[in-house]
Amino acid sequence: MTILKEKSRHSRRDFLAGSGATALALLADGSVAVCHGAAPQAGSVAITAWVRIAVDDTLTIKVPATEMGQGAMTALPLILAEELDADWSKVRVETVTEDAKTFGNPRLGGRLYTAGSTSVEAYFDVLRKSGAAVRRVLIYTAARHWNVSPADVMSEPGTIVERTSGRRLRFGQVAALPVLITDVPAIADADLKPRVAYRLIGADIPRLDVPAKTRGAESYGIDVRIPDMVHAAILRAPVEGEVPLSVVDDQAKALRGVLAVVRLPDAIAVVAQRWDIALAARELLNVEWTRNSPFRSADSAADLADTVEAANDMGRRGVVWVERGDQPGEAPKGGRLVEADYSTEHVYHAQLEPLAAVAQVDADGKGAEVWIGTQSQSVALEVATEVLDTVPGRIRFHFMQMGGAFGRKTLFARELLRDALLISRAMRRPVKLMWTREDDVKQGWFRPATAHKLRASLDGDGRVVAWQHRVACPSLLGFESPEALARAGGKDALVMGGTDATPYAITNVLAEHVITPRRARIAAWRGIGHGHNRFATESFVDELTVAAKSDPVSFRRLLFGENRRAQALLDKIVTMSNFGAPPQGRAHGLSVAPLKNSLAAGVAEVALDRATGVIRVHRFWAAIDVGLAVQPKNLIAQVEGGIIFGLSALLKERITILQGEVQQGNFYDYSLLRASEVPEIHVEIITSEAPPSGAGELGVPMTGAAVGNAFFALTGKRLRHMPFDPVRVKAALAG
Amino acid sequence: MIVLDVNDERVVVDTPDTTPLLWVLRDHLGLTGTKYGCGVAICGACTVHIDGESRRACVTPTGGVQGKKITTIEGLDRRGDHPLQKAWIAEQVPQCGYCQSGQLMQAAALLLAVKAPTREQIVQHMDGNLCRCGTYNRIVRAIERVVKEGSGL
Repeated sequence: MTILKEKSRHSRRDFLAGSGATALALLADGSVAVCHGAAPQAGSVAITAWVRIAVDDTLTIKVPATEMGQGAMTALPLILAEELDADWSKVRVETVTEDAKTFGNPRLGGRLYTAGSTSVEAYFDVLRKSGAAVRRVLIYTAARHWNVSPADVMSEPGTIVERTSGRRLRFGQVAALPVLITDVPAIADADLKPRVAYRLIGADIPRLDVPAKTRGAESYGIDVRIPDMVHAAILRAPVEGEVPLSVVDDQAKALRGVLAVVRLPDAIAVVAQRWDIALAARELLNVEWTRNSPFRSADSAADLADTVEAANDMGRRGVVWVERGDQPGEAPKGGRLVEADYSTEHVYHAQLEPLAAVAQVDADGKGAEVWIGTQSQSVALEVATEVLDTVPGRIRFHFMQMGGAFGRKTLFARELLRDALLISRAMRRPVKLMWTREDDVKQGWFRPATAHKLRASLDGDGRVVAWQHRVACPSLLGFESPEALARAGGKDALVMGGTDATPYAITNVLAEHVITPRRARIAAWRGIGHGHNRFATESFVDELTVAAKSDPVSFRRLLFGENRRAQALLDKIVTMSNFGAPPQGRAHGLSVAPLKNSLAAGVAEVALDRATGVIRVHRFWAAIDVGLAVQPKNLIAQVEGGIIFGLSALLKERITILQGEVQQGNFYDYSLLRASEVPEIHVEIITSEAPPSGAGELGVPMTGAAVGNAFFALTGKRLRHMPFDPVRVKAALAG
Repeated sequence: MIVLDVNDERVVVDTPDTTPLLWVLRDHLGLTGTKYGCGVAICGACTVHIDGESRRACVTPTGGVQGKKITTIEGLDRRGDHPLQKAWIAEQVPQCGYCQSGQLMQAAALLLAVKAPTREQIVQHMDGNLCRCGTYNRIVRAIERVVKEGSGL
């Protein structure tokens, strides 16, 4: 490991005089370097700082993840601050705007990307080591200043202390010392704090974003206002792949306050002095669109029927996701084969802040300043440089808080930024482009409809000896990035996550992806593949339980084998929920739904109005094991939210498409779960020795099967198709 | 020209009577704490008070609220220290936070009308405000906290 020494003492001192701040930075390989300034000049050091220490003791910590409500802007700096032994009250945070090389997400290809519940897990080690390295630099620097051995120097929160004399210097004072020692031993794992020594991690530090969010003071992308800004409303092609043929815009242009009608490749934008004028003018546009897109024939009901057929066509081999054992998917001699089909339909993100961005393209058209909420700074940069045919250095981004995202504000929102830039360039003015709710629904990118074929064989003792899961669905990864799919050898983690039969110890497993043609805009959606897959697998485990004449708890206990974490989780959820002993007229359903390295189990307590077919979830319990819980109360809040998100989709949500057009338009025909419909929720955390893992999506995948299994316990009928709407429920009851 | 009383200030805006109050607040007056969510009074993100009662600003014509007292989240408490705001922090209610201005204004209107609402009254009153992050139970707990502490209004 290389250790950079201070490069130019004189220039550093000049800098200190100038700005009162120095920067201690961690190299990609874990070593420390000094940056001569908050933003190092090219050539001084080839890195960007994770943390800056100012002489007034303020610590500015860079946050590589963007904030959409998950709490990353508190949890991530907290990890660094823990090892740095920072005074938390002095910490300020700053969202990373560039430099994926230094700050990229190691779990997502090194890009600046906030998705897949990865942030804490991905950045835990780099943040800890960065904090520890900076602390070490402060200790060595203070030791040199006092002319003592670094071994005689320690830290207290925000302060460096000499053990024997008790002399102390605040972090800011150390940073301002004339000689800064950066030639320090690299941080080894053994140098990091043991968990028992944590005082910030696990302490439930209040989220930094909460106070502003109670005062209406948080600024989201949609709230940005800059001088000379005008407003754009957009009319996008009603069907994917179509373009405007002709536009009659006289009436729109005649409206007072309308500035221009701008033609885009697949949309028409109206630009006006005020948003309400732009919106009114948009209604007056008369656009004729091409009618030759292959998506014109998309019909979600017929397309789902084809998908179900594909899953059931056993002669049609899928792309193998997991294959293990001697006889994957085969029934052993004397075994009993059980089969079942499940399906899910398109669902919409429904983040409460519709897509919005502000762009101000430079006069030469080759640069821009942009305000946007996004889950990926890297994607935003790629879009902007491509649209303006320019270099990264010409784009100045402000990454805003997101009013929810859930997978929507990823690479699947490229057209928002592209359009904002094109409109601003055409107008030669700053432009705010906003989507209405109707735009957001009709132009949505949805969790794909899926069909599942599950087969398993049980031996004479009721043990599962072979398991097969076929998922029929378009390739989401292939749609997102054909290159990424090729790199993954055709294996689509976005569709197939959660089909490897974990956490069960089954010898023979085969999971296949039967790739169907894409007939709608599809996207990752909170929980990604786990959302639909765990619904199918945990419903199926419940069916196997019945076939094996066992009960949901004993059957799973047997299947877990030696998996102690899973056993502990099961014990916890059974105790919490008093599983199997619901009040009169209600039933319990169990679901075990791990997500990557996080374990989770849930129990739904369900009642049914047989006359209306309405399922009511009265109570929901969840037990989670995310290894180390960095922010326990926030984890609980995330899981509560995930459960409601999952239940909402399960009970109420469905996007349908006819002749290529989305049939829903707003919350009156795409309903979400409301306050009166949510269950009482109890979440408990089991702390295990594992490293921290994600929880932003963890509440979602358990919901479908928990409710379906409770419905079976209540009625003896199986619900195998999401959503569980009243029509389906009544049909199941009658069947 | 329309004369409005917003957060105890007299303001004059140049807009047709029919312009929804939401856009006047956000775009003319820069009060962006009031949010756009649906535009059809079904999500509650734009909730403000008109003479102390909760109203959806997205469907409220600006011409109709002349002479009335308009309160937005920015004016709920001068120091941002309303008992509900404190309870929202104590219960760590917000996640993305986008709906929370509307939730707070809706809750504040309830406490203006009913001093000690029951849980059922709270849930019923809050039922028109959507929260996609799923903070509903915490919202109810935060309101109950204010009721219990008697720190209401």
